[in-house]
Amino acid sequence: MIREIVRKELLEIFREGRFRVALLTVAILVVTAIGVGRQYYRQVNEQHEAARRNARSEWVSQGSKNPHSAAHYGTYAFKPKYPMSLLDNGVDKYSGVSIYLEAHKRNDAQYMAAQDQTALSRFGDLSPDFILMFMVPLFIILIAFNSVSRERESGTLRVMMSQGISPWKLASGKWLAVFTPVAVLTGLVFLVGGVLLANLEDFGLFSWWPLILLALVYLLYYGVFINVSILVSASVRKSSLAFVLLLGIWILSCLGMPKATSVVADALYPYPTQLEFEEQIAEDKTNGLNGHDPWNAESKKLEAETLQKYGVDSVKKLPFNWDGYLMQKGEEHEAEIYFKHYQVLKEIYQKQSKVYRTSAALSPFLPARFLSMALCRTDYHAHWHFADEAEKYRLMLVGRLNGDMVDNSRTGQWDYRADEKLWRAVPDFAYEPVRYQSIVEANAGHFLVLLAWWVLSGVGMLVAVRQMKVF
Amino acid sequence: MFRLHVKYEWVSVWRDRWVVVLSLIFFGLLFFAIRNGQEKVLERQASIAKARGELRQAESKRRGEIDSVARGLRQYGEARRNPRLLSTYGQRMGKVVAMDAQPLAFVATGQSDLFTHFAKPKLYGEVYSLGFSELANPVQLLFGSFDLAFVCVYLLPLLVLAFSYNLLSSDKESGSLRLTLSQPVSLFSWLVAKLALRYAVVVGLIAATLLIVLAWHGIAMSTGLFWLLLLICVYVLFWFAVSFLVSLFGWSSGQNAIVLVSVWVVLVLLVPSIVSQLANAVYPVPSRINMIHNYRVAEADAEKRASEILTSYYRDHPELGQQDSTVANQYQFWLKYFASVDVLKKAVQPVLDEYDGALAQQQEWVDRFKVLSPAILFQDGLNDLAGTSTAHYTDFRHQVIEFNETWRNYFIPRMFANELLQASDLDQLPEPRYQSRVQPVWAIDLLLIVVFAAVVLGVSFRVYQTSSAERWLAS
Repeated sequence: MIREIVRKELLEIFREGRFRVALLTVAILVVTAIGVGRQYYRQVNEQHEAARRNARSEWVSQGSKNPHSAAHYGTYAFKPKYPMSLLDNGVDKYSGVSIYLEAHKRNDAQYMAAQDQTALSRFGDLSPDFILMFMVPLFIILIAFNSVSRERESGTLRVMMSQGISPWKLASGKWLAVFTPVAVLTGLVFLVGGVLLANLEDFGLFSWWPLILLALVYLLYYGVFINVSILVSASVRKSSLAFVLLLGIWILSCLGMPKATSVVADALYPYPTQLEFEEQIAEDKTNGLNGHDPWNAESKKLEAETLQKYGVDSVKKLPFNWDGYLMQKGEEHEAEIYFKHYQVLKEIYQKQSKVYRTSAALSPFLPARFLSMALCRTDYHAHWHFADEAEKYRLMLVGRLNGDMVDNSRTGQWDYRADEKLWRAVPDFAYEPVRYQSIVEANAGHFLVLLAWWVLSGVGMLVAVRQMKVF
Repeated sequence: MFRLHVKYEWVSVWRDRWVVVLSLIFFGLLFFAIRNGQEKVLERQASIAKARGELRQAESKRRGEIDSVARGLRQYGEARRNPRLLSTYGQRMGKVVAMDAQPLAFVATGQSDLFTHFAKPKLYGEVYSLGFSELANPVQLLFGSFDLAFVCVYLLPLLVLAFSYNLLSSDKESGSLRLTLSQPVSLFSWLVAKLALRYAVVVGLIAATLLIVLAWHGIAMSTGLFWLLLLICVYVLFWFAVSFLVSLFGWSSGQNAIVLVSVWVVLVLLVPSIVSQLANAVYPVPSRINMIHNYRVAEADAEKRASEILTSYYRDHPELGQQDSTVANQYQFWLKYFASVDVLKKAVQPVLDEYDGALAQQQEWVDRFKVLSPAILFQDGLNDLAGTSTAHYTDFRHQVIEFNETWRNYFIPRMFANELLQASDLDQLPEPRYQSRVQPVWAIDLLLIVVFAAVVLGVSFRVYQTSSAERWLAS
């Protein structure tokens, strides 16, 4: 019986001009978006690869100089793009692309793309995630809003009910009929996307199973919209009213809720302003140990302790370069200050994330959005991970350079020069992205919420079909 | 006769309970949106006021110190701790250059969530490479704000469509269209009258809601508000025109609703994102990554040739090279440091200027794409009125850099002259005066939206002329 319903429904859906126009539109958009995205991805990746090589060669060929001068000269870490960012660019546009790594200072990622674009870009780009997140649910509403009400209006619902069809069979038949074209479309998008990704030069970074997981997330998300569409279609008398209601639900969950949640999250847990943040760090720095400031009280204490430990009366008599040692201690102290303040920022971010997770109960869009970004490694967490790794590298880099000064020069010997050998000996920044396992663990909550949405809306749909008015 | 038609039309609009429900929803949305916008503005003003207040406090403290040191009432230990040193003051006590919110800033968040609204340029330090970015959760930036601009660009058209989708079809479905057509009234003028009435209702509703909500939030009235209303009226007119055109095809109310919503999706969601993508594909944003590379190359080059460049620099500034003067300049260390910074700056400036030039050019080109969509034009106009467009922030950044020059030009000659600060000097320090220098563009946006509306109305007229009454009566 279900099979007959599905066949009849599919036939009806395919016969409709509305469906064909919508399907064609979505298909063209997806193909364009993937094409444009691929081009963009390759271009960015080439630039990125070149930049990474350039940064290293600039570092290696900086000429002979004092290691601490080299630490001031510093280097850049560039945030890599991963193949799946082609499908969902996430927050990449709103987080910087490079971090300047230098002595004494933890810098934020610079140059977010959105800042270099006009307000036009705030409408969003025609990227695959835009179509998958916003357009496909609309497509579902367009083909499903009258799936039950149409039968009622034309009187066929009465006929079916009088033949003793169970509401369960009717609902699942309708559901499958809407789901089939959507699933085929989604499957095609991911298949084409996957093949394109697999043919990229850096194939090594790509694997199929996160892509399949992502497809699953989207299918679950679409399942919720199908459930809700049939639910509304079964409970509302007029098709046009069902359509308006469903559109309202779409606007609320895809446009309204994300924005409203942002407002709430920001009001509850506001970020400090950039200047406030910098001033808090500066304040801690002046009260702490400063490597460039040997008159500072704390460094005096350190000096006294060190002199006592080595049993000498002047830093000149220490068996190592005291200036380098002091600077390294200062660096470590400053690193602690930065760690403390960035930890505070991170806590604010985590509290805000909790607000987003809570409001996911009101919009299936939110868990799907976060899952999609996370699986494509373009979410905020991935950015934090990169920034933290870059900071670790910076501390290692500066530590190595100061260490060289401590071991190979004497106190006060500021004309000491290191050369390419040392620059080469410092390893290049090799960033390992967030592992999928930890992505899956961190986002299990979102997945469960989405699943709950699917189950609950499914139950709602069954109840609505069971209790629907036949006339 | 005609008057009666309008009267009963009014009654039927008014009796529709959907109208009341929608009006209430709209009121709620507007209330929430304006509250959010105003909240952001207050936050922004508070952070500026805080920075100014802190600076004022620090200044008066410093003034006291300078005064007591100048009178010999106070010792400060080592020479470099002298509060009268120009170098220390210029570095630590930089003025707050702030971009105060414009009266209509609550209307559109625009780009204001991406950039800082105040800066404290210092005597030395890389003001030219300052990011001016604000700390924010990028998720929030991705989702965008729930502000008046969002409600007006995205949701207002839906309100318009809800008011007008059954303009002609409801009469057809109730049978009154036959009666109307049998009267000596031209259908077109009758439709226009219906439309005008609904337009007046919607505009009146918006204006009243806006005024009530603004009064509630204690936002002062300004002439800008009038322009804002005008801009909204024009955008609403465009959507009425679209609805009018669709109604002339004689479909049922349900079909109209679906077609109109599809048009909404295309014009508000699809076209802007396609245009944005297209603009960036045709005119790509110049690569920041390449800029960093060029910057580093220029920097490294300047560092390698530092001594050579410095020698010529000293030739231009012989006062710096003086070694045999009887009194050594106490700022010698800083002046030499500035010299080396200047040398570096001179080397990298072309790279930055080139990038800024390319970016400005690119933005100008991309900006032209706005004529492709009334939604983009409307958003552009709202940001412009609110003073939160990209142009406003670029202008602010330039003014900060200019003030930084002024600040340095005050201190450096005095450092060359080996002066110390007097308490009275503090009143003579340059004060930043930010004043937006952005050419307003909202009037152009408004005109272009009018053109869009006129084109749609023109097409409607053509469609009307080429259709017969049977088309509207057929079911």
